[in-house]
Amino acid sequence: MNSSLQTLTWSLSLIAATGAMGAGFAKSHGLSTSVFSTSRSATADSPVTFTRDIAPIIFHSCSSCHHPGEAGPFPLLTYSDVKKHARQISDVTQARTMPPWLPEPQKLKFADELRLPNEQIDLIQRWVAQGAVEGDSADLPPQPKFTQDWRLGTPDLILTAQKPLILPPEGTDTYWNFIFRLPIEQTRWMKAIEIHPGDKRYVHHANILVDRSASSRQREAEPGAGFGGMEIRIESQVFDPDSHLLFWKPGTVPYLEPDGMALRLDKGTDLILNTHMQPSGKPEIIQPSIGLYFTPQPATKLPMLLQLEDDVKLDIPPGQRDFQITDQFVLPVDVDLLAIYPHAHYLGKDIQASATLPDGSKKMLIHIPLWNLSWQAVYRYAEPVFLPKGTTVALSYVYDNSADNPLNPNHPPVRVRAGNRSSDEMCHLWLQVLPIHYDAAQGDPRMLLQEALARHNIEKDPSDFEAHYNLAAMLQAASKLDDAMREYEAALRLRPNDAAANNAMGAALLASGQPGKAVAYLSQALTTRPDYFPARYNLGNALAAQDDFAGAAEQFRLALQLQPDDADAEANLGSALAEMGRFSEAKGHFEHALQLNPNHALARENLQALQRATSQ
Amino acid sequence: MRSGRSAFRANRLLLAGMLLVCLLAPEVALSQQGAFDLDGKPANPFDAASGKIVVLVFIRRDCPVSSRYAPVIQQISAQHERDASFWLVFPDKAETPQTIHNYLREYAYRLPALRDPEHALVKLAQVQITPEVAVFNRSHQLLYDGRIDNWYRDLGRSRPAPTTHELADAIQAALGDKIPAAHQVRGVGCYISDLE
Repeated sequence: MNSSLQTLTWSLSLIAATGAMGAGFAKSHGLSTSVFSTSRSATADSPVTFTRDIAPIIFHSCSSCHHPGEAGPFPLLTYSDVKKHARQISDVTQARTMPPWLPEPQKLKFADELRLPNEQIDLIQRWVAQGAVEGDSADLPPQPKFTQDWRLGTPDLILTAQKPLILPPEGTDTYWNFIFRLPIEQTRWMKAIEIHPGDKRYVHHANILVDRSASSRQREAEPGAGFGGMEIRIESQVFDPDSHLLFWKPGTVPYLEPDGMALRLDKGTDLILNTHMQPSGKPEIIQPSIGLYFTPQPATKLPMLLQLEDDVKLDIPPGQRDFQITDQFVLPVDVDLLAIYPHAHYLGKDIQASATLPDGSKKMLIHIPLWNLSWQAVYRYAEPVFLPKGTTVALSYVYDNSADNPLNPNHPPVRVRAGNRSSDEMCHLWLQVLPIHYDAAQGDPRMLLQEALARHNIEKDPSDFEAHYNLAAMLQAASKLDDAMREYEAALRLRPNDAAANNAMGAALLASGQPGKAVAYLSQALTTRPDYFPARYNLGNALAAQDDFAGAAEQFRLALQLQPDDADAEANLGSALAEMGRFSEAKGHFEHALQLNPNHALARENLQALQRATSQ
Repeated sequence: MRSGRSAFRANRLLLAGMLLVCLLAPEVALSQQGAFDLDGKPANPFDAASGKIVVLVFIRRDCPVSSRYAPVIQQISAQHERDASFWLVFPDKAETPQTIHNYLREYAYRLPALRDPEHALVKLAQVQITPEVAVFNRSHQLLYDGRIDNWYRDLGRSRPAPTTHELADAIQAALGDKIPAAHQVRGVGCYISDLE
């Protein structure tokens, strides 16, 4: 009998060391209040009143956060509310601390800019200087109305964190990750998400990361407990790059993705909510929930998050005020830039990113002259920004490691390098790009981006494990197995015991017809991580390829203990048993595989072959 | 600079002394202009201080910086339970004894609280912001008013931990019958004058 063994391998993995992804969310509270009334606004020497001049500014730019249930620590809805904080408002608007909006004005506009015009700031100054008078009640525009509920209507799926975090009353900022296990049985397409991060007064920002391989669960002390940490690493088993920036900050309201840009969510996918909180002075219970909105329309446009980083250059001497990092990356394909998300920690000071087009013209993509981690945000462009192939994207980050930087986590300052702790630094820039004008026959343009980025990172830092690994994965996807294995070997020289890299190398060897060599790598992956399903499955395949069906069956059984619903492992276990002549057992596994996936061609084929063999 | 500062200090102490007289004036004056305890009775934080230094801590419920300082204020007051008389002072006339009771419970405060609706204590202590503190020596002369420490640089930026500790330093000076190095450092938070 000739039952074929499935050679599906779990090989293409991408590792993204990622701090925080997020989505630009629109601020769309539906206010139509014009900021100035045209006929009766205050002139340079006329009195400024709350009802006529100040209320429209407050209602438009402050009240969306400053109302009960929202992030603002006190309401700003009435004259009395505003009068009680009048000088404070005057100070923080003049300093541009409020409303929180870090980027400088520039030619490329962002969606939902929160920056107050200078004239409005001057008006507030004059109002306070004149005694903060109320004015004629007839001038008062209608108070804005806000909902405490889900803004896009009832979500299709609402998930609440299993276990709340008790935020301590004091201490430094807290970073906590909540894992939401999606209770979906089949692939769904998400067109919007609303993040309710818990008590909004204490959560400074939150990002959702898509974990398609349940890799974060290992960090929980018990299922549902969540885990601490500012930056988290998500592994992906297939080329499935992050595509969306799912982000919440005070004032964020959800928005619908454009047609064709829904996010794919599969059975078994986890959403990781990475939150940044500040103690309030008393213990706080933080229990976030998320609301998901689905669409039946699968994605037709596939954006990608390009992560530019230059952490290797981060080695900031104590006391240095202007430590600069620059980096340039040339785009290998035409893209539309949709959103930008800069990220540094507490030493970051001046952050810039620009694009120089092939014709020499330059676009400032973002400039934040005074970085503040506490107000980090995803910035979505009002219109997509076309960047043709050959455009150089450049970043320039300046860090202040002097004692004069009030946010410096070290007192006195110490040498600071890159790392995941908040006292370490980062130099990251995420760009959400949508490849355009490409020839699908030439392959997935996101792979070209990923490959170019990996090569760029290796050029900067030959000891960049993730870059070697990701480059190898892209080469393997392009069927350049020898080149891929060379890169996996380079990655393994840097981290000989890494489970993902050993598994990938084993899978590449298997694909190139070298199962004997593959076994050594796969076994090493399992020594590092005995519960690593892909390595267990691939080892089964490698043993089967050497006709060690008993060994293969054992590995498939162990794999099924890890993932009992995996139809491929069931079918392969059946195949191994069939090869050993254990037909009745094999039949049961083929049947189970078909129960799990009625369209499993190999299980069906083998079952039929088995029936033919036993009937003869 | 040095001489200027000396002159200013003398003036301030005199002012504190004069206002103290006002506070110790007949009860009728206090009930019109002074502070109240949470039973609504006129209260003078210096009356009960007998030989202790007095620390007034000015806070607002609607000022998040005030609230974030609750654990710090309690730690410092607990360290000086025997030799310092600590009072929380609420300058917002809209506060009721009940709202203050609730706040104290929420933040697990174990300090006595006063309402200061007419800002008699605010003027005496020369504070402008919440949270700010005023430290009086055993003779009830004002030695220091201003911030607790330098945790906040401005409303948008707070240090991971403070690097100066003005309140603790002023208490040490007062206990040692000395003049503190700093006599006034403005705080970061919410203006008390916005409440007028």
